[in-house]
Amino acid sequence: MKYQVLFIAVLLIMAALIAGCTQQAATQQQTTSASQGVIKVGVIASLTGPASNVGTSMWQSAQVAADKINAGGGVTLKDGSKAQIKLIVGDDESTQAGGQDAATKLITDDNVDILVGGYSSAVTSAYEQTIAEYKVPYIVTGASSPIITHRTDIDTSYIFHHCPTTDTYGQYTTQFIDQVIRPAVNGKLNASDARPFRLALLYQDTAFGKGIQTAVNNTITKNNLNIVLVSQQSFKMGESDFRTQLTAIKAANPDALYLGAFPNEGAPAITQARRDIGLNTIFLSPENNDNAQFYKDLGQYGEGSIIESRFSPYTAPTGPVTVDQAAFKQAYFAKFGTYPDMMGASTYDGVFIAAQAIGNAGTTDKAAVKQALVNLNMPQVIEAMKNQTISFSPDFRESSFDLWMEQLSYNVTIGETRPSIVWPDNLKTTDFALPSWYTAGSA
Amino acid sequence: MDNLGIFLQILFWGLYAGCIYILLATGLNLIFGVMKIVNFAHGEFLMIGAYITATVFFLTGINPYLIILVSMLALIGIGAVVERLCFRPILGTGKLNEIFLSIGLIYIFQNGAAMIWGDSWQSVRSPYDGITVPLGPLSVPLDYIIIVALTAMILIALYLFLKKTKTGMEMRATSQNRKGAMLVGIDVERIDVISFGLGCALAAAAGTLWVVSGQVFNPYIGSMPAVKAFTIIILGGLGSIPGAIIGGLLMGIAENGAAFLLGGIWKDAVSFIILIVVLVIRPTGLFGEKGD
Repeated sequence: MKYQVLFIAVLLIMAALIAGCTQQAATQQQTTSASQGVIKVGVIASLTGPASNVGTSMWQSAQVAADKINAGGGVTLKDGSKAQIKLIVGDDESTQAGGQDAATKLITDDNVDILVGGYSSAVTSAYEQTIAEYKVPYIVTGASSPIITHRTDIDTSYIFHHCPTTDTYGQYTTQFIDQVIRPAVNGKLNASDARPFRLALLYQDTAFGKGIQTAVNNTITKNNLNIVLVSQQSFKMGESDFRTQLTAIKAANPDALYLGAFPNEGAPAITQARRDIGLNTIFLSPENNDNAQFYKDLGQYGEGSIIESRFSPYTAPTGPVTVDQAAFKQAYFAKFGTYPDMMGASTYDGVFIAAQAIGNAGTTDKAAVKQALVNLNMPQVIEAMKNQTISFSPDFRESSFDLWMEQLSYNVTIGETRPSIVWPDNLKTTDFALPSWYTAGSA
Repeated sequence: MDNLGIFLQILFWGLYAGCIYILLATGLNLIFGVMKIVNFAHGEFLMIGAYITATVFFLTGINPYLIILVSMLALIGIGAVVERLCFRPILGTGKLNEIFLSIGLIYIFQNGAAMIWGDSWQSVRSPYDGITVPLGPLSVPLDYIIIVALTAMILIALYLFLKKTKTGMEMRATSQNRKGAMLVGIDVERIDVISFGLGCALAAAAGTLWVVSGQVFNPYIGSMPAVKAFTIIILGGLGSIPGAIIGGLLMGIAENGAAFLLGGIWKDAVSFIILIVVLVIRPTGLFGEKGD
């Protein structure tokens, strides 16, 4: 009997050890001493839980950025000395409680100089109070709800948003629908421009999903667009069965369906819509879905779908960032054997922004670094920015991106879809086309 | 699609969801009925079943529906080991020990799976992907008809096993009166191992069906189905197999009906609302008996 008790005790200890393994592996670079010549950058990412695919890309992209900065000599401080970037990761476990733990540990135990990362607005907003309390500069590169810097219940002055908000890309996508898809559908039906476009929404019931829903509704109302929302269905974060909501959407006869979903939700939702429900329409997804796993999971069912984007593992706009994006993807692939996603790209940018701000401040003093971020005006890194410059707006500390829309086409040889840029005109490589199987909605 | 068509379609998705719940809850009830233990890690057996199915499929390309046998056999083995090494030593030492042990097992299985298979979500394509079958006013993918049929076959096989075989009768006897079963010479520890293994095998079957239906999976998918399985067995009556079947069906249909009528965020909440209502009206559950 005593051996059995001993065995259970060993088993429980193993459980605790294994539970900490992921975090242990990820935090192997952490240090507890603030040694000179080192800038400690905390990276908050979802290394475990439903968002781990995106979170891993963010963490790995941060490492590629730190490698590049350090290989170039590091960051020059006020006294002329050089400091190397040392990354310390905090796994938010894709949960609000995990995010709170990660942020607290990075700030109080690891004494980081600056924070980068944050995915899922629900998770990120849960620990913003801690950021406000300790006044640590934080460059948010994943959570896209505007509440991240717009909320007034806490002091968000140390938080900088390097990620388009749901307001921005919800509006952008709705304009694309109005200017490109609506005329194409009218053309197919030989209908006049007076025919209202029938749009359906399926959105995650969080700040992120609701942000998209609000942006679409506001854009239609403000611009008096000829778009009618025929169905607005929600789902809880992490859902994998969308059949019932899709049945309701199909019954509403939409011309297109906009999904406010994460990639692990968007891929099964589109697959179930096409395969199980027979909803042969155009599916539009937000930028966080531009992820290699999303393409893999969609398979042939992604054909004809649209992704709003600003960085893709499989395409890039022709312009100043083309070479830098290719070099980043190559360095990432060489180190990890996969391709980075969009949130990885903005986190890569985020580490460069952190280094630039500390370099500009010439110190790691948090108030000085925050002021350097306020005054920041640096050339774009790998993501295409408005005026090719990274700076934060004076009101809500948000940077401005150049966005584009991609349409996916199926490649039989690889069994996956690949994107081509179809909008705006100055970036597009091909025209948007309705798939042959597309069925328009009807009143 | 007219209103009747939509109603039938929602009912069908409820039936499909119910199949997964029924298998999971029946397994849990089988274990509880015989051993009277609370195992919160039961959903992790669904997750392992899903991964075994996907791994064998990716390695061999065998029809994933056939892999259900491999998955169930593997989980019988894993379940037997878990019962022998973890639950047997603490049997009868108090519910708190069982609860903490099963919570520990959740971490072991989740993190173990993440170390072996990674924690990114994955998906598998059924060989019948894209094939639909007309069913009255509906056009239903073949996969879901196979899933419903397989669930029915597994439940019939379980029924025959429990009713017609000596071991099945010994399990029922142990479930009804453990001390009495011991007095008439039944090796209850052997029955415990078999019950636990069978319960895990049913969870594995649920995992296989989860995978072939095209739902994504990662090491953390088991938690919520396990909570729902507990809700179902409380709803249906602790230890009652028919209760688990009716409860599972009710849960699947109620969830999908709520998602359609009230919105997706009510999908999980409605299960617990039904549970509260049933417990207020009938504290022993739908099919439970006093003293269970």
